[in-house]
Amino acid sequence: MSSIKISNLRKIYGSTPAVDDLSLEVPSASVFGLLGPNGAGKTTTFKCMLGLARPSSGEILYDGKPLAPESFERIAYVPERNVLYDWLTVDEHVEMNRRAFRAFDPARARELLSQFGVDHRKRVSALSKGMRTAVMVACAFARNAEILVLDEPTGGLDPVNQRHVLSLIINEAAKGNSVIFSSHQIGQVERAAEMIAIIDRGKVILSGLVDDLKADRKIVEGIFPDVAFSLDGIANDPRVLRVDRTERIVRLLVTAGAGEIAARLSASGATGIRALDLNLEDIFLYAVSPVTATTDIVTKEQSS
Amino acid sequence: MPAVLTVDPRSGVPIYLQIIEQVKRSVALGVLRAGEQLPTVKQLAIDLTVNPNTVARAYRELEREAVIETATGRGSFVRTDEVEASPRVAVEIGRDAIELALREAKAVGLDRDEVRAIFEAALERWFSELPKGDSQ
Repeated sequence: MSSIKISNLRKIYGSTPAVDDLSLEVPSASVFGLLGPNGAGKTTTFKCMLGLARPSSGEILYDGKPLAPESFERIAYVPERNVLYDWLTVDEHVEMNRRAFRAFDPARARELLSQFGVDHRKRVSALSKGMRTAVMVACAFARNAEILVLDEPTGGLDPVNQRHVLSLIINEAAKGNSVIFSSHQIGQVERAAEMIAIIDRGKVILSGLVDDLKADRKIVEGIFPDVAFSLDGIANDPRVLRVDRTERIVRLLVTAGAGEIAARLSASGATGIRALDLNLEDIFLYAVSPVTATTDIVTKEQSS
Repeated sequence: MPAVLTVDPRSGVPIYLQIIEQVKRSVALGVLRAGEQLPTVKQLAIDLTVNPNTVARAYRELEREAVIETATGRGSFVRTDEVEASPRVAVEIGRDAIELALREAKAVGLDRDEVRAIFEAALERWFSELPKGDSQ
């Protein structure tokens, strides 16, 4: 068992909420991706999960129980910021982990370090940003933890090592462990995560199974014979999230029922109708930055 | 077998659907034969670097569609029962492709006769008595 349940988490710094009523659930044996623009609250959420920041309110449960001293043996964490000691060597960090965590496997750590191409004899001060990330990742994955909390675990890594981290994440899920990770590389989240939450200004603005979001969210496009066309109230359909009109072309962002909405568009006189697939990056951009995602926006209210 | 499967996670097509489509195609083409074992969920997830639950979802769906069967503890296999999986799946793939083409032809405003003319010409080209090798 290795489930995580966050309910109504709120963390307020001064008078600004960094995390605002955030709830999410990571079942056992799954990989959860946390996406969001800079400053959205991802790192604060992780810190609250690890007890490094005290939640202002809300609850975080691991297998139904709150964080306790013994939980730390089961949870491995890769922080976004470098937390290594510059004056210690990589080997000394491995040794530190061995002393701190009972289940830590130093041989596995050294194996991972060599796969990442890190020279274990070097002092941390001599390592690049990517190599420092690799040290933190190698130590975390050698912990034999059941839950891995990874804040930007591929930061600064080259594409080969990035892919290696993804393989390690997938391997953990295949073993029945749970991983929650954040990344600005949406393609990585798209590959490794089964579920995602997009957070913005501390709130979850969209969450679900990546495959379901892709299956449901479509752009339905149609062309009208004349610039002055009516959508016959299609824009009022609750599944139509946005309406973009450019001359005679209309594009509807739908959250479900693309086929049905396409048929209604056809019935109102549009031709050339097609449903366009959206990848996770498109879905992300529409969710957090509607204006940059498209041009010539007409809101639903104005167009109906 | 895993070598014939690839997924494009950046596509808008859900990964589990990509896996389903490719397993079906492999079955239709005889790359995967009746009774042949598929990689385990875990192995395929690692080979493709995609989430194991996503692979499991594809396998469940393939089972529901009677393309594969799973024997507890032994793994997943292409079905061998009385309904030969391969020709049936081939018909499905062909039908889906033609449906898609007709929908697109209709969307750009062609009428029944125009579509029929195009279809007849294409049929002639691809299915004249001398097969032109592996028609893609």
